[in-house]
Amino acid sequence: MTINLTRLRWPLILGLATFLVVPDSCVRAQEIQPDSLSHGADSVLFEKKLEEELAKELYGGSDTTRSQEAIPTQPQGSPSTLGGILNPRISAIGVFMGSVTEKGAASNVYDAGLSEAELAFQAYVDPYSKADFFVAFHRERQDPFFGPEIEDGSESGYHPELEEAYLTLLTLPYGLQVKAGQFRLAFGRINTFHLHALNYVDYPRMYVNYLGGEGLADRGIGVSWLVPNPLDFYQELSLGVTSGRVESPSFGVGTNSVMFSVHLKNFFDLSDNSTLEVGFSALHGSNDPHNHKTLIGAADITYKWKPLEENLYKSFEWTTEILVSRRNSFVESVTSAAWYSFMRYQLSRRWFVAARYDYSEFPYDDTRNEQAYSLIANFFATEFQKLEVQVQHGVPSGRREFNRVLLRVVFVIGAHGAHNY
Amino acid sequence: MIGKGVFTIVLSLLGFIGPRPLPAHPEAAKKLLVVTSLQDLAAIAREIGGKYIEVFSIAKGYQDPHFVDPKPSFMVKLQRADMFIQAGLGLEIGWVPPLLDGARNPNILPGSRGYVDASKNVPLLQVPTGDPATLRARGDIHPYGNPHYWLDPLRGKIIADNIFEGLARLLPGNKETLQRNLARFKKTIDAKVARWVKMMAPYKGKSVVAFHNSWPYFEQRFGIKVVAFIEPKPGIPPTPKHLVKVIRIMKERRVKVIIISPYFSRKSAELLASKTGASVIELAPSVGAFPEIQTYTDLFDYNLSRLVKAFHGN
Ligand SMILES: [Zn+2]
Repeated sequence: MTINLTRLRWPLILGLATFLVVPDSCVRAQEIQPDSLSHGADSVLFEKKLEEELAKELYGGSDTTRSQEAIPTQPQGSPSTLGGILNPRISAIGVFMGSVTEKGAASNVYDAGLSEAELAFQAYVDPYSKADFFVAFHRERQDPFFGPEIEDGSESGYHPELEEAYLTLLTLPYGLQVKAGQFRLAFGRINTFHLHALNYVDYPRMYVNYLGGEGLADRGIGVSWLVPNPLDFYQELSLGVTSGRVESPSFGVGTNSVMFSVHLKNFFDLSDNSTLEVGFSALHGSNDPHNHKTLIGAADITYKWKPLEENLYKSFEWTTEILVSRRNSFVESVTSAAWYSFMRYQLSRRWFVAARYDYSEFPYDDTRNEQAYSLIANFFATEFQKLEVQVQHGVPSGRREFNRVLLRVVFVIGAHGAHNY
Repeated sequence: MIGKGVFTIVLSLLGFIGPRPLPAHPEAAKKLLVVTSLQDLAAIAREIGGKYIEVFSIAKGYQDPHFVDPKPSFMVKLQRADMFIQAGLGLEIGWVPPLLDGARNPNILPGSRGYVDASKNVPLLQVPTGDPATLRARGDIHPYGNPHYWLDPLRGKIIADNIFEGLARLLPGNKETLQRNLARFKKTIDAKVARWVKMMAPYKGKSVVAFHNSWPYFEQRFGIKVVAFIEPKPGIPPTPKHLVKVIRIMKERRVKVIIISPYFSRKSAELLASKTGASVIELAPSVGAFPEIQTYTDLFDYNLSRLVKAFHGN
């Protein structure tokens, strides 16, 4: 394990910078030239005082450091062309992560690094379809404090990986849509989300232990159907038939049979301000070359509250997912379970606080389990940059309990990514 | 390839949950379902389409149109829509694309008969110049020019032209009625604008401060001047240092009116008011922002009478 304080310096600096870089520059430069205003030493002093006073009123503290000018002013030049007309929407996402772990009586353990750089390309192919490509460079690293004990220095550098590359047919009749290629499987509430889009730093243990550290993606075909129903609510049934050769704790790379995935998503508007989503999922595939099968069933529920009129400032969200797995092998069949619950409350336009509890057994062992308790704070500088701090108490199986602080900075450049609900 | 017959059988077997009528055929006697991103577009569509259409707006007038949640329930609405109208210019970029993708309705995708971009032919203000890679440094949400163009009633006539064109495509048999409705709408606007401009004439050049940069078209039409914004840049929340600058400008320019929209926090505006003696008024950024604003002309009647009252009070 790297114990290197200079590497830790950067997360802290970056973290601080996120708080300081609250861009501030002028109003309409053409109309008001600040330089042209009378501006003596007295008024400078007066304004400094005023600024402190305003800070107190706005934030309830006297922190005026947030208003450092940090973003370059507008350069003059030729009209913007907004990129080549036929280029796809391109965006690049950086994920920087740092952690400090207090591990029993041992000394603190630090880690920091760019954990992921992702490139996304998205465009309509023709009037009938759309294509999405996501290429990621991951820093491959197993969580050293959960799961089986691993050797120090398990880090194996950055690996380019095709996260997703798929075509979506958009103009099929009867409310159908077809996906073909490599894609994240429709399973549970969060498997289709990319990790950096989630509002906690580490993936829930349920997902790590059953689907894999980055969730489950596979090559194949997915069909989804918007199910007509008399109550007129949103009901989507997704079916996937994929290769089954995935790196996952529940399924095997060397298998020779396809994997089936099913997800039924139900979405209800309880009022203008609150919604409820209830989902049911299943996965079925082989876990070894001898065609021993694993069957996973899961359910998820999400409640969201967000008053329309104040949707910039207030919201609340609660998600719980539960999973039951049955894994057959030569020796036995193991039935095990896992669940987590997550709750998040918005304090102000930019600040959110959240808590999560994880419980997870293992696909191959229902007698052992691990648990984690997390408190999370998210700070959104803008839609394109967020900072997250997570304090976690971990109770791994058969190993020492630990406390740690995880830090993550996510930043995006390029095309505006739409957010999923 | 699965034959269409087999396909239909499989679907009807699965359809035990209950059938739902397919979207109304354009020529049928049934009303067309027109879904709009904003209530302003819905209000104008209602004027043109009259009894031939039923209108639903995704965003409510009291919601910030930049930040609307793409709830799946809107996809169900869009799946059945015969027409979709949006403001364009990146205003809805965070929420309309996922809704259109999820709606599985080929008739309303960009480029198809049932799709209308209301910004077509609208003369734009504040189109950014310079290196595109610095756009976000200037605030993130007006990349193609200021998208709040419905706040100028004369540009509202161009919106009406675009909606008329779309409706006439789907209702060729009723083109004459639509044409009449369009002409009547334009005439009303012209008459109203003459009155509104006259009403605002005494306040020409009056300075105000606004929360977000959503008023340039309104300023251009009615002669008021927004000299500073509470947001340092579009989409960026206010900071004390920036507010100090705004206070300085307000004192220099003797600004007595601060305008805000119902979806922004009043806190910073009230802070400014307390430091400068100005008054804070809530103007409607869209139709539906307040219950009394039901039509497109209500929007201006409301806003202008509020402004006149505020200027008068000082
Ligand atoms: Zn705007």
